[in-house]
Amino acid sequence: MERTKLARITSIWIIVILVLFILSIVFGILMRLSQGKVISQSPVSFYSLMTTHGLTMIGIWFVAGMAGVNYLMQRYVFAPVKSNIFALLLTIIGVVLLWVTTFVGNFHTGWTFLYPLPFKIAWAQWATPLFLVSLVILGVGWLVWSVSMLIAILKKYPITRALAWQHFERNPSFETPPFILITVITLIGVITCLLAAVLLLGLFFAEYFSSGTFVNDPLLMKNLTYFFGHTIANEMLYLGLATLYELLPEVSGRPKWKTSWYVALAWNCTLVFILTAFFHHMYMDFVQPEGFQIVGQLASYLASLPAVAVTVFSTLTLIYRNPIRWSLTNTLYFMGVAGWVIGGLGAVIDATIVNNFVLHNTLWVPAHFHTYNAMGNVLFSLAFFNWAANGFTGSTESSKANRLKIALLLIGGTGFLLMFYLGGAYSIPRRFNIYPGEFSLAAPFAWIAAIFATVYLVAILIFFWNISRKCLKLLTYS
Amino acid sequence: MLKATYIFLTILLAWVSELYAQPPAYNYNLEEETNIYKHVADIKVITEERNVHLSEIYSERPVILVLVFTRCTGVCNPLLMRLKENFAFINSRSEFTILVLSFDPRDSLEDMQSMAKRFTLEEDPQWRFAISREMDELNQSIGFNPVWDSRRKQFDHAALLVGVNKNGFITKKLIGLRNQEALTAMIREINDVFIPSYPLPNNKQFFSCFNYDPATGKNSPGWGLLILSLPSMLTLLLVLVIGNIYSHKHPRS
Repeated sequence: MERTKLARITSIWIIVILVLFILSIVFGILMRLSQGKVISQSPVSFYSLMTTHGLTMIGIWFVAGMAGVNYLMQRYVFAPVKSNIFALLLTIIGVVLLWVTTFVGNFHTGWTFLYPLPFKIAWAQWATPLFLVSLVILGVGWLVWSVSMLIAILKKYPITRALAWQHFERNPSFETPPFILITVITLIGVITCLLAAVLLLGLFFAEYFSSGTFVNDPLLMKNLTYFFGHTIANEMLYLGLATLYELLPEVSGRPKWKTSWYVALAWNCTLVFILTAFFHHMYMDFVQPEGFQIVGQLASYLASLPAVAVTVFSTLTLIYRNPIRWSLTNTLYFMGVAGWVIGGLGAVIDATIVNNFVLHNTLWVPAHFHTYNAMGNVLFSLAFFNWAANGFTGSTESSKANRLKIALLLIGGTGFLLMFYLGGAYSIPRRFNIYPGEFSLAAPFAWIAAIFATVYLVAILIFFWNISRKCLKLLTYS
Repeated sequence: MLKATYIFLTILLAWVSELYAQPPAYNYNLEEETNIYKHVADIKVITEERNVHLSEIYSERPVILVLVFTRCTGVCNPLLMRLKENFAFINSRSEFTILVLSFDPRDSLEDMQSMAKRFTLEEDPQWRFAISREMDELNQSIGFNPVWDSRRKQFDHAALLVGVNKNGFITKKLIGLRNQEALTAMIREINDVFIPSYPLPNNKQFFSCFNYDPATGKNSPGWGLLILSLPSMLTLLLVLVIGNIYSHKHPRS
């Protein structure tokens, strides 16, 4: 009964996420067309779209990972359902309110809503408090969901075993499944960054309602913003990786992956260092002591490289000289690993202080985070959606249609990202709605990117058609 | 006797009235932030070498404008003396031109040259002394308002330095006799070097990450750092509490 309920909720999540994803891609294409001078948009419309696009994308791919992990969790523990439904309801309410603030109230601070921008009212007066309320609603739903999932695991696994610390000993008597290890590591990070968001929003409200008697420290607010923002953007990737560790060997017809000492070490490194890697967003903040900046650079390496190394090694050994049953699911997972690694390398390059002086606020930044999202995390989640939708209905795939989808994703995604990287190489600034004449290549890069993004959108529409039909079939089946 | 008394009283009255006469109203607007990042007026300037537009000077090297007049009995001479002393110690001589410009229409180029000689600056290539017939336009663009005091035959004016970068933007203004530190900051500003600035903690700000002491120039940790570490500490506590609550349910092996 619970299994069916979970399948149904997951189906709703999949449909909601894909609908929001398609709309957010359209917003992205509109922004690139505007930058490419193909269409004309007012600055307010552009930045409202940018705010909606950024926050929606971060939100949906976080909940996509959560929904996938929650669904697969039932293989090991009693997976929570009520908190899942609660999070679903609050996510829908939160997103609706968020879109009202941006599209009706014209709120347009960008997705990081960096202090004190929300208080520099250039939109409807009510939009700032409503925006903050929408984030509270989303945050509460996600925090409750994360904690309930962590409780579900810790009910069965002692914390030391959930973190696979016994694998640091010789001949461990108990093996922690990699899925549980990565999920626990990620949930701890998610809860931490959501608590950072709670404090951040609390401070925003405190200043808002203080009538000028209390002001925040911009340095603290920026630190908290990136503690939340950078961490959640990374943790959602790890949620996708948890599903990969669980499903990739299985759908490839290979034995399940096992946790070894180096896998445990790599992911424990990620747990510790991902929580301090956000300091690399503060390189330009000269009042932050230099020690923090160095911690930011080192943590950026130590959080990502060990996890990348073990995952790539595991993936390559899975396919090297082994008979693989290739399907859409494992192809997406395999491509996603490549996208994650390429985008991750771009991130590490940018997180290196000497490089950051050159790349900071250029299109290199959206280049790398779009790589590990659009061609990494999104593919992990699409792989799970495809696997789950097939599982819900027991349907099979057409290899011809799969090849088309993969080709469109690859061509659209690669071309779209290439324009960002070329923009970064030419030091074209990001977050400009219209590029000044000095950046002669910026507009052509933007409209070419819009064309490739449209190709990517076509692929996603085909995915949506195939996957949502199966999900709807499950939902309408009594 | 009466006549002598009348003359004496008239002179006395004239002297007293002169003594208590209201000085001309001068707007002591000592804000250094006015007109910042505005374009300086591109006036014609008459120098010893030739007549040039101001833009020809600042497009070669950034300019520090010094506004004086040669008959000044007030701040002009101390200002120039202090500048000469300070710039002698500042180790960035090639990065800017110091243009000493008279705002007194009575001043001739010769007057300015003799002023340069008085300060032994006539041979210094970094210093240029000049006049202009378009000073009103310049004064308006830089927010400088000298007022003629007919009683003292002097201009009432601020001791103003205006920093202009190579694009003709006013990037810094300094009022008064300033030290080397302020002048160095001005040189950096006119050379478009980033000058860090950050609001100091105040009594409305309870949670600063660091408390900066302007006297010592040192930072000490503030309450903000504790807030920043709270999410990690709370999560650790939460994980330990949950783990402890369910510890009895865990199998022994």
